[in-house]
Amino acid sequence: MSEYLDVDVRPILRAGGEPFSVIMAALESLEPGQGLRLYATFKPVPLFAVMADKGFAHSEQPLDGGEWEVLFTPAATKPAPLPAGMAGANFDDWPEPAIRVDSRDFSPPEPMVRILAAAEQLGPGETLSALLRREPVFLFPQLEKRGYRWLGGFTPDGVTYELTVKAPS
Amino acid sequence: MIGASLSRWTMSYFAAALAWLFVALALMVAGIGYPAADLQSADTLVLVHAVCIGWLSLAMCGALFQFVPVLVAKPLFSDGWALPALGLLIAGLVFLLAGFLALGGRLPAAPWLLPLGAILLAGGFGSIVVDLACTAWRRPSGAARFVLAGLFSLCATVVFGSIFSVALAGWAWPAAEAVLESGVALHAITGLGGWLTLTAMGVSYRLFSMFMLAPEIGERRSSAALAPGALAIAIVVVGGAIAIGRASGSTAVLSAAAVMGLISVALYGRDIVAIYRGRQRRRLELNMRMAVLSFASLAAAVVLGGVLIAMGTFAAHLGAFVFLAVFGWLSGLILAKLYKIVAFLTWFETYGPVMGRTPTPRVQDLVAEQRAAKWFVLYYASVWVGTVVLLLGEGSVFRIAAAAMTLGVFGIVREVIRTRRLADVTRPLPVGAVAPHLLFARN
Repeated sequence: MSEYLDVDVRPILRAGGEPFSVIMAALESLEPGQGLRLYATFKPVPLFAVMADKGFAHSEQPLDGGEWEVLFTPAATKPAPLPAGMAGANFDDWPEPAIRVDSRDFSPPEPMVRILAAAEQLGPGETLSALLRREPVFLFPQLEKRGYRWLGGFTPDGVTYELTVKAPS
Repeated sequence: MIGASLSRWTMSYFAAALAWLFVALALMVAGIGYPAADLQSADTLVLVHAVCIGWLSLAMCGALFQFVPVLVAKPLFSDGWALPALGLLIAGLVFLLAGFLALGGRLPAAPWLLPLGAILLAGGFGSIVVDLACTAWRRPSGAARFVLAGLFSLCATVVFGSIFSVALAGWAWPAAEAVLESGVALHAITGLGGWLTLTAMGVSYRLFSMFMLAPEIGERRSSAALAPGALAIAIVVVGGAIAIGRASGSTAVLSAAAVMGLISVALYGRDIVAIYRGRQRRRLELNMRMAVLSFASLAAAVVLGGVLIAMGTFAAHLGAFVFLAVFGWLSGLILAKLYKIVAFLTWFETYGPVMGRTPTPRVQDLVAEQRAAKWFVLYYASVWVGTVVLLLGEGSVFRIAAAAMTLGVFGIVREVIRTRRLADVTRPLPVGAVAPHLLFARN
């Protein structure tokens, strides 16, 4: 079990949808002691009270473009040490991408090869930005194994997946 | 963690599945079971279960252990269940087949064999269903819904089969007798139509648009194909149980399920055509070209079924219809996808650790498609010839077709083993990369 279940409601919000039911469904699927990591396009202040009622403390961090990452932690447990990859990243200090990779016209697994090759070119703390057609599920563990952190999600068109990778400092 | 890693035992499932496929082909070549014997004979039961459990179900389970985590971008619910489940399934199948052989008088009578086999199979399939369903449930959308419907059908199939085993063992239980009397069609439909076909449909939606760089089919459209298929299975399970309880005959239930199944296959066919048409990759890889032959077989099976029903000879030619569906559609598709999946997983396992740091071969460099193509063509051609021969009632010629199928499968398996052994890669293994084991992933 991971310490936090990731819930990204940004696509729903961008599409003008109502993410409350999705968040509540995710909440019900949590295992005992597990927290929730929420990504939203605004600071979800009204949710904080709802979650406090359910016994979750919150800590929020701003992301680029006015977006927010919020950690909801069961009040009984202390916030876990933050693993590599997406988890717990403070994205404030992420510099502009040094490399841009557009791998949308390559079929799997070519995008993974190109992104890993580009990542190897990054200097300490530098980032790369990559465009793909789908969530690169095999790539994430590879990035984490090599100490990279990453942030990814579908753009509002729902077709392009945008991935940012940061080299270890 | 978000993401998917290599499934450790997928190769072991594939290897076991292919071994059972050879067992089944050997039976057909030897003339044991249908068409030499009746469809209801004990020998045919041996053949059918070697194919459906040994070959198709093991291959499907092996693929799902890898595919479901990719689908939901989450790790498998539990890593520890796959290998014990494989052991239970193989042991259960051996006892089940021994039970059928005893039933047909080829082994000394031992009524406990069938229930014991059923218990072991239920244990194996049960743990796989829990593991995969709990994984798929983490993001139950799109293709994962097909998998969940398929897993539900698998449960229904196992329940029907377990009841049969008790009835065949002769243990006094009148309800089981009644189920055995009229439930065989329901068992076959939930197994072949629900478990294997719905799951294969779901997997192909995702894999095909991925391999061909085609736009994904939207959730609403794929659900439209799933809904009538899932409804057909629900009708079979619920309606079938009611019909058995009332002893009212299951013709109405089967007709309703057939109509729903037909709608599901038609909508699925429309979506698959859309994926092929919308692809950005003009040149198709071998596995996608061969998949076309599987779809042709599925369409041919649907047409054949319709013609036979219209002519009133469906019951007489049921064997030929099922043969085309099982070997043209399901087996052909699984063989074609297995060829691709083994290449990809082998490539990822071998070169993943050094990818990006040093030049690595492409997935395509692990296979020799031109050499493999002829074996696939031989396989499909002999399946189609075999179907025609069965329709014409030429049992002895069928054995020749089965021998040709065996040769085709043998050629395909040889290619798959070469892929796994990196035999066609000309480049030496880079420093830091480790050649994979034939039968499991080292992770």
